[in-house]
Amino acid sequence: MPDLLEVNRLSVRFDTPEGRILAVRDVSFSLAEGEVLAIVGESGCGKSVLCKAIARLLPKSAHVEAESILLDGVNLAGRSEREMCRLRGKLFSMVFQDPLTALDPTLPIGRQIAEAVTVHNRRLPRRAVERRVLELMDLVGMEQPQEKARMYPHQFSGGMRQRSAMAIALAASPRLLFADEPTTALDVTIQAQILDLLRDVQRKLHTSTVLVSHDLGVVARVADRVAVMYAGRIVETGTAEEVFYDPRHPYTWGLMRALPALAIEEGRPLSPIPGMPPTLLAPPRGDPFACRNEYALAIDYEQEPPLMRVSDTHWAATWLLDPRAPRISPPLGGIPHA
Amino acid sequence: MRFRSGAAYYLKKLAAFALSVFVLSAAVFALSRLAPGDPLVSYYGERAEKMSPQERERTMERLGLNAPLHVQYVRWLQGALRGEMGISFKYKQDVLEVIALRLPNTLLLGGIGFVLLFVLSLLLGVLCAWHEDGPLDRVVCRAGTVLSCIPEFWLSLLLILIFCVTLKWLPSSGAYTIGRAGDVLDRARHLILPLVVVVGSHLWYYAYMIRNKLLEEARADYVLLLRAKGLRKRAIVFGHCLRGILPSYLSLMAISVPHVMGGTYIVETVFSYPGLGTLTYESARYHDYNTLMVLCLLTGVTVIFCNMLGQVLSERVDPRIRREEAPVEVNAP
Repeated sequence: MPDLLEVNRLSVRFDTPEGRILAVRDVSFSLAEGEVLAIVGESGCGKSVLCKAIARLLPKSAHVEAESILLDGVNLAGRSEREMCRLRGKLFSMVFQDPLTALDPTLPIGRQIAEAVTVHNRRLPRRAVERRVLELMDLVGMEQPQEKARMYPHQFSGGMRQRSAMAIALAASPRLLFADEPTTALDVTIQAQILDLLRDVQRKLHTSTVLVSHDLGVVARVADRVAVMYAGRIVETGTAEEVFYDPRHPYTWGLMRALPALAIEEGRPLSPIPGMPPTLLAPPRGDPFACRNEYALAIDYEQEPPLMRVSDTHWAATWLLDPRAPRISPPLGGIPHA
Repeated sequence: MRFRSGAAYYLKKLAAFALSVFVLSAAVFALSRLAPGDPLVSYYGERAEKMSPQERERTMERLGLNAPLHVQYVRWLQGALRGEMGISFKYKQDVLEVIALRLPNTLLLGGIGFVLLFVLSLLLGVLCAWHEDGPLDRVVCRAGTVLSCIPEFWLSLLLILIFCVTLKWLPSSGAYTIGRAGDVLDRARHLILPLVVVVGSHLWYYAYMIRNKLLEEARADYVLLLRAKGLRKRAIVFGHCLRGILPSYLSLMAISVPHVMGGTYIVETVFSYPGLGTLTYESARYHDYNTLMVLCLLTGVTVIFCNMLGQVLSERVDPRIRREEAPVEVNAP
């Protein structure tokens, strides 16, 4: 499958009064047509910033540098805001974390979806717009769309609002959808529904999806491939199977061991990752994860490990993969793929 | 059901309104009479000073000023409820007639000032928000802070000095040149400076408020989704953000009415503009009790009414604070 999205060496820097924050450092990844890539990591690891940097939705204080961001053959790097406006919604679109605040509170839902339909197709006759809005609402599983179209966001539940946001995002049939923690703000039961919907819609429309989440359980449900981010870098990437059944980075081990479902299955207490992520204002020398890593080697405090090959699709940034590294018995992984 | 809750809502507002007006009238009544001074001077002029104590006693009795305060108030209230507001001590005329004569002048000045403020502050606010932190925005915000701190009377004097005394371009006082009351152009010339002061001293503050509201709105989460769906800045600002701040804008403007009114009163006094402001000032100074009461009530009622209007307006425009939960009629897409 040809790659739909190819990001090369993307970095995002924020200049704040306190100093320079490197939110995303030299990230490269690609995404095939119709694939779901999950980006996971703790809060503040830069996963959300990464998506917004590609969509160019960051505030002015952010400086984005990238060798190239190729989306469907179009290089997004260095495009003017005007051109980006033309691409947003049509080429790619986005769903955000908090559906409570993501919709304009002063307009009925139908109008907001209609706006997303007409923005890239101004000449569409009224009837056709109306039909398309109802079709979209049906697509995202909103019953009685006629009636719901006339309601305001505050009259909706969180799940229903996220469905509306999905309808808006899908209005111009984008090739790529960024879903920035789309279920985090929802009830657990609704989370599952929205995830199923995401997967469902993705299969129906064949939309490639970048799913940002801090919840590995969520990711396991929908992702084809997984990228684990830590302190602004991708530290492990591979297919969902590779990352879930054969994780190689100590941070990924830590994330897995902190999963309640897994701990219960293995009959052991939850083991959280000790410490806090480093502040990105003054990142430590070497690997930023070293001080929280029980498998840290001396070199981890000196030099940041590059991404090392496990297989053609599976890469991890840890010195443990270096042939010179001592053999350790990993707490997880090494399980042959199902 | 909906009607009943709506009626109860407005009844409650009405009750609060009536209570506020009652308290205001009592307070003004008491305060005006407690202030030192001789109300007879207002009625009889210099003759009041030459009156014998017996004469004074009789006239005070006749004007009803001898009774204890609460009795006077009850008497006044009874009259007021019948629509009799008494006579002006100074003009020896029905108070309402005196006021009716001056009211159009104030309405003209205040009305035009308000409309200008209403339009200009929105334009300026949007302009500043659009060029956030640009040179224009900075200049307007800085200059506005300074200008809005200048007292109105001082600004008026300064303008009079420049445009009337030094340059002799504009008239310094009055509402029209004597004998040319019907001349629109002449009236307009007399209005320019007072308007500049009334609008100029409040414009910045409101423009700044609107700018900040708009910027706050533009940082709201929903704007990200609007941008994600491909909307341009213009469509976002004019189609969504302005809509979002409409409730605050309208209530802000309703609240600005008293401000403009206060400004008008001060400016009228400085420019000797024959309006309610000058009249209020005179009646307070000369203890023209009946006139003062009516003027204060008129002003107070406007202030209270505008504040309530601001509240009701913002509730009506913003669907979130609308009382009924049922979907309201909106044209479907």
